[in-house]
Parts: sequence; structure tokens; C-alpha cells
Amino acid sequence: MDRQRRVKQAWTIARIELRRAFFSRRAFWVYGLALFPAVIFFFYNLSIQIRRSSLQSGSLTTPALIDSIRIGERDEDILARLGKTKRDYRWQSNIRVRDKEEKSGITTHKIDPAYEARYVRLNIMVPTCSSDRTTRIYEFEVYGPDGATNLALHRPVTGSTPCSADEGPEKAVNGSVAGGIKDRWCSHEPRSYLQVDLGEPRPIGSIVIRHASAGGESAEFDTCRFSVQATNDNKIFATVVGATGTRLVEEITWHRNLVYFDGRREVRLSFTDGRLTAKNEKLLVDFEEDRKVFAGVFQFFYLRLAIFFGCLGIFMNLFRGEMLDKTLHFWFLAPARREVLLAGKYGAGLIASSVIFAFGTLACIAVLLSGHSSAEVQQYWQSAGSAHLFWYTAAAVLGCIGYGSVFVAAGLLLRNPIIPAAVLLAWESVNGFLPALLQKLSILYYLQSLCPVPAPVDGDMPALLRLLLAPAAPASKAGAVIGLLAVTAVVLWLAALAIRRIQISYSTEA
Amino acid sequence: MTSLSVVFDEVSKFYGEVLGVNRVSMNIPPGITSLVGPNGSGKTTLMNLMTGLIHADAGTILMRGISPRDPEKLMRITGYATQYDAAPRWATGFSFITTGLLLFGYSRSEAEQQAWKALEQVGLTDAAHRKVAAYSKGMRQRVRLAQAIAHDPEIILLDEPLNGLDPLVRAGTIELFRTWANRGRHVILSSHVLQEVDLISDQVILIANGMIVAEGKIRDVREEIQEHPSQFIVRCDDASRVASLLFDEDHVTEIRLNEDRLGLLVMTRDRERFSRSIGRIATNGHVIDSIIPADENVDALYEYLIGEGK
Ligand SMILES: Nc1ncnc2c1ncn2[C@@H]1O[C@H](COP(=O)(O)OP(=O)(O)OP(=O)(O)O)[C@@H](O)[C@H]1O
Ligand SMILES: [Mg+2]
Repeated sequence: MDRQRRVKQAWTIARIELRRAFFSRRAFWVYGLALFPAVIFFFYNLSIQIRRSSLQSGSLTTPALIDSIRIGERDEDILARLGKTKRDYRWQSNIRVRDKEEKSGITTHKIDPAYEARYVRLNIMVPTCSSDRTTRIYEFEVYGPDGATNLALHRPVTGSTPCSADEGPEKAVNGSVAGGIKDRWCSHEPRSYLQVDLGEPRPIGSIVIRHASAGGESAEFDTCRFSVQATNDNKIFATVVGATGTRLVEEITWHRNLVYFDGRREVRLSFTDGRLTAKNEKLLVDFEEDRKVFAGVFQFFYLRLAIFFGCLGIFMNLFRGEMLDKTLHFWFLAPARREVLLAGKYGAGLIASSVIFAFGTLACIAVLLSGHSSAEVQQYWQSAGSAHLFWYTAAAVLGCIGYGSVFVAAGLLLRNPIIPAAVLLAWESVNGFLPALLQKLSILYYLQSLCPVPAPVDGDMPALLRLLLAPAAPASKAGAVIGLLAVTAVVLWLAALAIRRIQISYSTEA
Repeated sequence: MTSLSVVFDEVSKFYGEVLGVNRVSMNIPPGITSLVGPNGSGKTTLMNLMTGLIHADAGTILMRGISPRDPEKLMRITGYATQYDAAPRWATGFSFITTGLLLFGYSRSEAEQQAWKALEQVGLTDAAHRKVAAYSKGMRQRVRLAQAIAHDPEIILLDEPLNGLDPLVRAGTIELFRTWANRGRHVILSSHVLQEVDLISDQVILIANGMIVAEGKIRDVREEIQEHPSQFIVRCDDASRVASLLFDEDHVTEIRLNEDRLGLLVMTRDRERFSRSIGRIATNGHVIDSIIPADENVDALYEYLIGEGK
């Protein structure tokens, strides 16, 4: 009899308090939190819609044509078959490479007409085109106009200080390149030179120089810039080969991207030098992907932040708001037990927060589904859809139950809402690190176990963040519901102890 | 019989270090009882203790046999108009009282009927549907009164109920108190002006500094205060001479000389005649350095209640 009356009283209190819970100015931002994901998904859908209509005008083709595209096809062929697309992007890339025509590391320099001289001199202006400063010449050959015999072979030769005793200038006229690095003339001197004495003035028709790569070293070490001079008296020099080097040419690659759309897929075709090298297909709207995104948003934003702070706003306000307004004593002067008052107020907060956040969840899912084809949605609906919907809503409501109890208790025990919020948020965040027993004292632990789709935790997140976000070892769904209700019951029992001891003292409250 | 009284037994309440009330014992029978004392004397504290809004640190309180810790029972028979001048933002006078009544288990129509009756009693029917927040001070005072009595309580606690009422309304309100008292209810109100309540009360309880100074029917209290001997410390050069002069006065009941012979403690039954005597002695050439009342509680209360009223 008494019990029935108390239940009725609590319900009466809850009905009166619903106004405060739903419309309190202090808690209006709760609506913003609850509807935020739905709004975000709405704008996401809108952006997809805009992209679709823009793709449809000017890039539309058929699925069959897209499937017919093969790697290696020419861009013009594809354009002819699929039609022009608005999304046609071309650009070119240039890189400097050694002339492919040139045999590796060997340069030949014609001297026409032939020049007669006794001494021939190789001046190194820039030893290599890289940062290396060492000159490496494997062979320096001088030919007459007939080009038959190497006039420099085994002739006396002078030059800049060699790198070592067995890398002297004579190695450049020994007729061989095959003996490894001991078969070269090498010098560290800047602007080094090499001079061959042909014995008597001879007509010179061409010069062949074998650089580093001719001897098996990296082409990077081939001489970058040099010139050849000739003289008879070692006083007057004629430049027979003007400043030149191993030849670099620009290599130009032509790139082209074409984008087509078949109503579902967006295909990006990448061409290099006119041939198709890559074909990337992407679904414009990917239902599976979107559901994963929703799972992440729900766990990381909704459960952890929106419901957490929403309940903070609604439930802390139930008692604290009345203390600030100096109206709490009206409740204490009613013919009701303090516990009944607690039950009534908690009930009001629970109804309000559950309605707000369940609605927020449903709204978000509805917006999400609205962006997809009805066939896909129907199929989802028939498979996992309704179970997902149920568990997401249940998690939201249970979140309100759990966090609500904590914040109604905090509102009775503490003056400043910031402190319990910060402590609790920290507690819930480090939950993953706690020993198993303590984990069970966290609301989030149970809520995460209820979520039907695991939240995507990216492999390349920082390890610490991953630990924070990754759910602790999940409990079974039934276990999670029972565990959460048990934690709530304990917290509410503490709140009941607290409310019995509360005294009206407005003066010191503000 | 005790179960029909409001009984305090050695009740103390401290706000941290600050004294609220100290070892208060009293027995209030039905009828109009006024708690009278200056600001900060502990009137509100007593009423809050009676209704369980605050809890006593020591002692026991029984309201017609019910502990203030049991609001479910107590608040059915108790109505309390507090001094806190606040009402929910959303409330009109009518909805405010109706809402409160719903918690008593009344149906909505019953509650509305009762609320209307209460508003009629305090003469607020015209403003019943306006927001309480927009009421004048006197109207808010009356709506709190109506809220306290809407469920026909047996014990009616009113914290400074006459504050801010114009003479016409005040007369009507006092008449209400009388009606309720005649029906055997407790009407306990507080005031800091003795004149305001002495004619209407069956009993007056004088409080100062958290203690009951005098208690009883109004005439008794007056006499008790008048005749309460006052003590003064008089500092002067020739204390023994002044002492002998004072001793001739018949209102002086006792004189004690200080050891340093520079001061004396005088106990008198009549403060006014005492001050006249001191004046005479001073004009006769005796140097009086200072007169310090030694019994501040009662002295201050006397000044406050009687002195101001004249
Ligand atoms: N919440 C509180 N915290 C600290 N001290 C308090 C509190 N409420 C009252 N007091 C102190 O207790 C004493 C009694 O206060 P109380 O409000 O009972 O006086 P009162 O007789 O009702 O005064 P008034 O005529 O101004 O209403 C005062 O000294 C007051 O400062
Ligand atoms: Mg007061």
C-alpha cells in the first residue's frame, strides 16, 4: 500500500520535473550534442549528392563500358569508346637523365677538320655531376682522321697528382679499362688535367674518353664537364673540344587522368605516355564503409562525449539547479521520502535523456540510411539492420541510465560539476589499462560491449591513442546489461544515502 | 498531551563554527506562538529544524510526536512558509500551489480546487494566473502563505509572515491566524518586532544569540524583561564613594567593588532610574570614566524590542 503510494508519488515528481529536464536553459546544449552526428551525416549526404550530380553531368557512362576497360589501352581508344568526360586532367613530368643514345660512360668527340699537334690535354672542369669531387678517367684515346690507331696508346703522359701511386695518368693510356679501379687515372685535385705527348705533331681527327661507368663504376661518377686542348709548344693551346660533358637529356612523361561514373562507381583511369597504367574503382556511396564510420562516431563521440556530457548537463542540474535557484526546499517540504524524491528526479532525467539520445541515435541512423539505395537498405534491414538499431538505441539508453546515476549522485555530493566530470572522464579513458576488476566499475566498459559493430581502430594510429580507444575485453551482451545495472544500483544507493543528509543552506551555496 | 505539542529537548545546531541555536528546550502547545528575536538570533534555524530542512547536531525534536526526519508523515500535517523568496521560473501562483498539492496524492481537479481555496484565503485570486516571478514582494509573501496552508496542515510554520504586508492585508492575515488557532492548530510565526505580535499571540518566545531568553504568555514576558536585573560595570576614580552613593538608591540590588578600587559592578532592577542616578552622581563632581552593560544578551534584546518600539 505504502509502496504503491510512493511509486505514484515518484511518478508525480518525475512528471513535474520533466519540464526542468527537457527545457532547462542550463541544459539546452544537450540537444546540440545529441543531434550533432545526424547533422554531420546530413551534410555528408548532401556533399555526396552534389558530387553525384556533378559526375552525372559530363562523366556518365555505363557499367558495361567501364568493365570493358583494360590496362595498357590507349587513352584515345578509351575516349572514343566511352565518350568524352569533363574530368580530363593532363600534365607532364620532366626528369633529367643521361642520354640513352650514348654508350655507357664513353664520349666521342669529332674534330673536323683535323688539327695537327704534338700534345693533347684533357682539362677537367667539373669531375662529376654529383657531389663527388674526384676525377676518374679510364682511358683517353686520340685518333687520326682515319680513326684507325690510338695515337695516345702507351705514350708518355703527365697529369695532376693521382689519388694513389697506382692510379697515375699512365693508366689512362694503357689501352685497357677492364682492370677495375686500378685501371684508371684518378685525382682529387680541383680542375685537374691530363696531357699526352704524341712524340711529334700528328693530325687529330677524333678523341674518345672512357669515363667512370666504362670501367664499371656508377654512372654518377662520369665526368660532368671537361674540354680538350692541343698544343705544339706547350705555350699556345687550341681548344679542340669545347666545354662538354657526358650528355644529360630531359625525359618527358605524359600523364593523363580520366574520370568516369556509371551511377554507382567512380572510376579513375591513369595513363602514362598514352597507355592505361591504373584503374581505380571507388563506390560513390559505400554502405559498408558508412556503417563502420557510424560505429566509430557512435563509440568515440556519442558514448564517450555526447551522452557523457549530456547526462552531466541534465542530471547534475536536477538538484544543483534547484539549489542555485533556491527552490530545493519546496521538494523537501513535500510529504515524500527523500529517496522518493531522488527516484522521481532521476526518473525525469532518465526519460528526458533517453528520449533525447535515443532520438539522436535514430535520427543519425535514419540520415545515414537515407543516403543509400532502397534496395541496399532493405537488404540490410532484413539481415542485421533491426538488431543493430536495437542495440545502438539500447546502448544510448543504458548510457543515460549509467551516467545519469553517476551525475545525479555527483550533483548531490559536490558543488562544482567540473571536478566530477574531469575525474570520471579520466577514469573512463584509462579504463583499458585497469585491472579486470576495476574495469567493471566503468560505464563505458559495458556500453562498448553492447555496440553491435566494432569501431574501426586504425592500424596507423599512435599506440597510446589506440590503447585509449580500443575497447577493453568485451563482456557478453547480457553480462554487460546486468553489470551496468548493478553499477547503477550501487551508485543510486550512495545517492540515496547522500540525499538523506542534505540540508538546505542556500547562503553558502552560491 | 505531549503528542499534541511541538517539543524541543536540548537541541543544538551549529553551522560549522557558527552557532545556530544552543541547547534549546521548549514545549509549544497549539495556538499562536511567536518566535521573537533580532536578526540572526536563530528564528529561521528553529523553524528549519522543525521541518527537517536542516538537521540538529544534538537533542531531539518531536512535532506532535513525529520526527522531522520523517517528511512523509510530518509534511502531511505541516505547512511551512519559508523566508526564501524564490519560486520556480515556470510557476504561476495557481500552478505553483496546484503542483505542490499533487504530491499529496490529490487528483488534479481536487488539487486545483484546494489551490483556489488557499488563494482565496490570502486574497490572491486576481493574480492567480500570473507568473510568481512577476509578483510584488507582498504578493510573493502571500503566495508562500497560501502554499503552506493549501493542504490544511495542523502545524503552520510562518517565517516573518507579516513582513512587507500593507495594513489591510496584515489585519486579514492575522485574522486567519486566529481562525486556525481556534481550530486547535499550531500557528508558529517569527518576527523581530515584539509590538507586531504581542497582541495576537497566545505565547511569545524571545530568542537572542541562539538561546531562549524568555518564554510564556505575553504579559509574563514583558514583566520578565522589565524586571530582569541588569548589570553594569562602572569605571571611576573613587569607586567606593560612588558605590555608597548608589547603594542609597532602592533600584540597586547589589554592588560589588573591584579589587583595584577603580570600578564596580552594579546590579539594578530599573535601567532608566539607574542611568538617572549615574547622571546625578556625575553632575555632583564625581568622574565616571565609562559605563559598560555587563549582560549583553538581554540588554541588547531589551533595547531592540522595547526601545525601538517606543
Ligand atoms: N547556512 C548557514 N551557514 C552559516 N551560518 C548560518 C547559516 N544559516 C544561519 N546561520 C547563522 O545562524 C545564526 C542564526 O541564523 P537565523 O537565520 O536562524 O536567524 P534569524 O533569527 O532567522 O534571523 P533573521 O531575522 O535575519 O531572519 C546566525 O548567526 C546566522 O549567521
Ligand atoms: Mg530568519
